[in-house]
Amino acid sequence: MSQGSGMSASTMRAIVVGDRERWIKLVMFFCASVSFLGVLMIFLFIFRESLPAISKVGIRQLFLSTDWRPKSGHYGMLAFTFGTLFTTAVAMIIAAPLGIGAAIFIDQVAPEKVGRSVRRVIELLAGIPSVVIGWFALILLVPFIRNLTGSSGFGMGAASLVLVVMSLPTITTLSAESLKAVPTELKEASAAMGATRWQSIYKIIMPSAREGLMIAVILGMGRAIGETMAVQMVIGNASQATASLVQPGSTLPTRIVQDMGEASGVFRSALFAQALMLLLISVFLVVFIRLISRKRKGE
Amino acid sequence: MKGRRADKAATTVFWVLGIIVVAILGFIIIEIFARGLLTALNPKFIFGKPEAIKSGGGVFPMIVSTLYLVGLSLIISLPISIGAAIYLSEYAKKGKLTGFIRFCLDTLATLPSIVFGLFGLALFVVYFRWSYCLMAGAFTLAILNLPILLRGTEQAMNLVPDTYREASMSLGATKWTTIRQVVVPSAMPGIITATILPIGRIVGESAAIIYTTGLFIRNIPLNPFDTAAPLAGYVWYSQTEGVQADYLRVVNGSAALLLIMVLVIYFLARYLGRKYQEKRLLGG
Repeated sequence: MSQGSGMSASTMRAIVVGDRERWIKLVMFFCASVSFLGVLMIFLFIFRESLPAISKVGIRQLFLSTDWRPKSGHYGMLAFTFGTLFTTAVAMIIAAPLGIGAAIFIDQVAPEKVGRSVRRVIELLAGIPSVVIGWFALILLVPFIRNLTGSSGFGMGAASLVLVVMSLPTITTLSAESLKAVPTELKEASAAMGATRWQSIYKIIMPSAREGLMIAVILGMGRAIGETMAVQMVIGNASQATASLVQPGSTLPTRIVQDMGEASGVFRSALFAQALMLLLISVFLVVFIRLISRKRKGE
Repeated sequence: MKGRRADKAATTVFWVLGIIVVAILGFIIIEIFARGLLTALNPKFIFGKPEAIKSGGGVFPMIVSTLYLVGLSLIISLPISIGAAIYLSEYAKKGKLTGFIRFCLDTLATLPSIVFGLFGLALFVVYFRWSYCLMAGAFTLAILNLPILLRGTEQAMNLVPDTYREASMSLGATKWTTIRQVVVPSAMPGIITATILPIGRIVGESAAIIYTTGLFIRNIPLNPFDTAAPLAGYVWYSQTEGVQADYLRVVNGSAALLLIMVLVIYFLARYLGRKYQEKRLLGG
């Protein structure tokens, strides 16, 4: 307030201070709205760059065709959308039980010290760069699958297993949080009724944490859908749509990374359209989570 | 009796699940270090110049790129996060507007990093004509990190007791003076701790930077508008291109080096976090 020393009338100073307060509030509001500006700009620029492909190739040929032959002007991305959803689904079949199980272990089963160390290990796993996990998978997992199945080793199965590792920390950490949030009275009441630990977990704790566990798995899915580098190193990067775990394929992010270097014109724009597809899937997940958490609050 | 047996079986299963998770991490760390630790700790590798085709290259410009990127990106995102956290925790009333801002933050947190990468390419590299440079990567990562940085900053501010604010206001301080001289300084240790997670993400991020900062350089980047090649992107580049005669050594060494950086950041975070908590418990 010493800045007001030039003014003698205290009312003047009050006005100046009030004015300054209002300006500051405006600046802070601007900082908060950067999140909105960010989302808006990302959407606008990704959309703008996909426009040439949308108008030249057509929405149907672009989004709903599996015909990907950029050299002859075919830019269908459906095989990669399928690849994204398929590898994510396979990964979730393994990672959801594994992650929720590990969370139950941390919160309910393990002695406190052991639980805490496992939680730290998982935090550390979350911080390992995806190129490192990809490299690890490339030198160990791919040869392992090759020896086991007689295939090249690269493919949807290797990609799915990488996604298990990538989504596991998210699922475990968030599940453990929502299990912890279950009221202690509920846990104690169940034990007092003579329930074994497993009965308490299965009949009382998991049902009352249900929404939280669902959100944990959906956010894990979000990580899996967007994972790029680690998957690109092991998926084989073929442009076919395949549900075979030992066949090479692509996801949307891996196709973008694979082709972006040489792409130009409509080809490049088609890759931006794939990013647009990823963006739409992510927004869908966020809205879905909102609906679940609103339901939880409503109960 | 049946319940007892089911309980025993379930307990065993949960122990096995816990052990699997720990084993995955242990396996990754041991394998990466077994292959690359010797190269990663070799001064000639750390401080050497990269080679495009020949063998024997080092990664010093890549390490500098990574650290430079961390610094630049935090300079951009930290003030914005602090400002936004001040708005959300001190000024805004809970309502439709804050709900909408949180929705945008959730969206940013869920968007795949490759989408950020293409966005950075379209806006900073092409539209602003910055070409591939540190600045383009720094802005891209600043937006990518906004949700986690903001959440951490806000938590730190919410932990400042309301009695502090009331005491300051009752002495006649304006809201802004209270924020600037009481709330932010008391939250500062927490804010510093909150930057650790984003730092780790910047160090490990590759999909968002390969189209914004660049993939390969030989000289150390000095100007923020110089092309750079952060280490994580370089691991991917060396592995997929495989043009250096000894690219296996480069990839193994860089991956191990990256892992060392992440481990250092992780333990620093735990150390700072513990220190901060002790301080808070003592009321300091």
